[in-house]
Amino acid sequence: MPKIKPRVPMGEQPPLQRIKNFKSVPYGYTEDEAVEEAARCIQCKKPSCEPACPVNIGIKEMNLLIAERKFEEACLLVKEDNSFPACSGRVCPQEKQCEGDCILKKFDEPIAIGKLEAFIADWGAKHKVEVEETIANNEDKHVAIVGSGPAGLACAAECRKYGYAVTIYETLHKAGGVLQYGIPEFRLPKDIVDAEVKKLEEKGVEIVLNHTVGQNIYYYELVSQNDAVFLAMGAGAPKFMGIQGENPLDGVYSSNEFLIRANLMKAYKFPQWDTPIDVGKIVAVLGAGNVAMDAARTALRLGAEEVHIIYRRTKEYAPARAEELHHALEEGIIFHELVNPVRFHGNDQGFIDYMELVKMELIEGEDGKLHPTPIKDSSFYMGVDTVIEALGTVPNRLFLDRAPEIKRDKKGVIIVDENHMTSVEGTFAGGDAASGAATVIKALGEGKRAAKSIHTYISSHDD
Amino acid sequence: MSFKITKMIDLDSIDFLVDVEAPEVAERFHPGQFVMLMTRKEGERIPMSIMKVNDGKISMYIRKLGKTSKELRDGITSFENVIGPLGHGIEEKKYGTVVVVSDAVCGHAENYAICEALGKIEGNNIISIQTFPSKKEIYPDEYLTKKIAHRHFITTEDGSFGDKGSYVTTLKRLLDNDVKIDYVFGGGKLPTMKAVSTILAINNIDNLFTTRQMMVDGSGMCGSCRLYIDGEMKLSCVDGPMFDSRKVNWTRAMKRYGMFKKEEKIADEYYEAHKGGCGQCQK
Repeated sequence: MPKIKPRVPMGEQPPLQRIKNFKSVPYGYTEDEAVEEAARCIQCKKPSCEPACPVNIGIKEMNLLIAERKFEEACLLVKEDNSFPACSGRVCPQEKQCEGDCILKKFDEPIAIGKLEAFIADWGAKHKVEVEETIANNEDKHVAIVGSGPAGLACAAECRKYGYAVTIYETLHKAGGVLQYGIPEFRLPKDIVDAEVKKLEEKGVEIVLNHTVGQNIYYYELVSQNDAVFLAMGAGAPKFMGIQGENPLDGVYSSNEFLIRANLMKAYKFPQWDTPIDVGKIVAVLGAGNVAMDAARTALRLGAEEVHIIYRRTKEYAPARAEELHHALEEGIIFHELVNPVRFHGNDQGFIDYMELVKMELIEGEDGKLHPTPIKDSSFYMGVDTVIEALGTVPNRLFLDRAPEIKRDKKGVIIVDENHMTSVEGTFAGGDAASGAATVIKALGEGKRAAKSIHTYISSHDD
Repeated sequence: MSFKITKMIDLDSIDFLVDVEAPEVAERFHPGQFVMLMTRKEGERIPMSIMKVNDGKISMYIRKLGKTSKELRDGITSFENVIGPLGHGIEEKKYGTVVVVSDAVCGHAENYAICEALGKIEGNNIISIQTFPSKKEIYPDEYLTKKIAHRHFITTEDGSFGDKGSYVTTLKRLLDNDVKIDYVFGGGKLPTMKAVSTILAINNIDNLFTTRQMMVDGSGMCGSCRLYIDGEMKLSCVDGPMFDSRKVNWTRAMKRYGMFKKEEKIADEYYEAHKGGCGQCQK
């Protein structure tokens, strides 16, 4: 085994500088840095990184091509398997996927696969590298896609390759779903999302904004006007802790509201943009997933003096991507382990004033898992001006209530078969709507696979 | 996208009437539903009641308050977005004697739309009660529900016209005079709705009141408009916007309006300073 060089560090905005702006935290690899990093890849005979990727990108070859400075080829290669590498390179939890299974991890840090993926995607965008697609002529067949998040976009891109006329229906006034309203600018610049959406439109995908299926256009209309329907409306409804004192209090947000205001409505540009966001001096974010980190770091950038993450387990269980947690801590966000809020208290103006918390301990249950359990008589108080509840999301019932024929489980997650087909023939589903809240890359993968099933389905019904 | 404003008139010193071309919304509208309005690309998404649809246009009453109304006053000719119709509309059927009450823009609009729709249905007897601050704020006749309701009452908060006080006064009087009321629809100010909910509970009258709260997306995503209905959390945008007033936790609902007071003032001042004309920015 030759000696492995250390990972090429990625240039980043220093923490004290970046908490004052919304610009991207990493600068991205330069060509030379990318070449050096890619050259660390030992080109395993059987690469273990590739099967760990939800869309099975040809990582080994990508690394080789980058190391040989064949950037255009590398870009085309990646795009074969993933239409949106600029997004996934930035938001995938690589440490749990490709990089988690990289053999180098046994000796040193794994290859920075995500950063290389983002590099090659950006290089491609800059040099206008486009996959030449021969689009089949199937325009007489129509596919309707509900939702323009990652699953919807990926499915649309693939369906278009098969030549179908594709229409995406989006509730909000901008396309991109969670990439647009959820993930902040400093993690995923919106120029990138907008460019991906524009590319799809140029390929002939029609995007109808401001249309909520089940509200101002109906599911049965889509069924009657299309040969197949793909449901990818995500899991967009917020969860609240449901603890006492929650509702009347101003200053208590769902992470969805907080991030929609900041990202989609650009409240960080207030008052040039109209939508306000109110952030107090002391902010507490409940939860420790990616959304919690996004909310915490956004609050910091909006001027909060102290931002606290409140988590009922310990740091090692935090579901957030390692890089986000690392960035958050670097930026001075205070992480509280093993605590749980039990009550909010307001001031006489109706704003949140302080919360009551209890200390927790992890106790092994009968299932062998560690369960966070309140410690008796351990309650304490914490003064706060703003609380953001980042406790995950559930499917939005708006659509589902009005299409009862589509079977779903108790949580409202749509039930699909191995081909992503729902209980209704010709209606497919993917992404968070069909798998519960998960990751962008999983949604991209499902969108793509569903497109394949849609193609098989439409072809077999061709008269 | 752009939605052309075809008409804008002053109803009085506090409200505008605005007509805008929004054929898709007009086609699918049912009384009680609302739209999200964005005046410009950088604008907020603002929930707005619909009063009437006609020939691909929707009519709205808009309060002369804050930035949006100043944009209207300063002559914007179109809206960036008119999204909807959103929320549930009412069931358009025979109810019997229906009283429709309102005391603010979000309320007067529904009042008009409901009176118009239910008045057309055989067997409905429509009584409409509209409350204004004083005589001088009463809308011109054609924008009141006068002609479309079977009976029409106006009350003023200062007593300068009609019954003194809110629609609750008139409603109580009707009940005292043994008018048999089968159903009540309403909307407007939260304290009045809280007050009327008690009367409706005592008299056991079925009802639906527009209880729209602050919203961002208006499609069930942000949770900003959460309300407690019979102790259960509901979202005004997707579960409402109309709820049985007897089941709404009004005290909780009323507390949620101060959150952006500070920011509203900033937005207003910024608009005044940047609306153009002073020439400072060209220097």
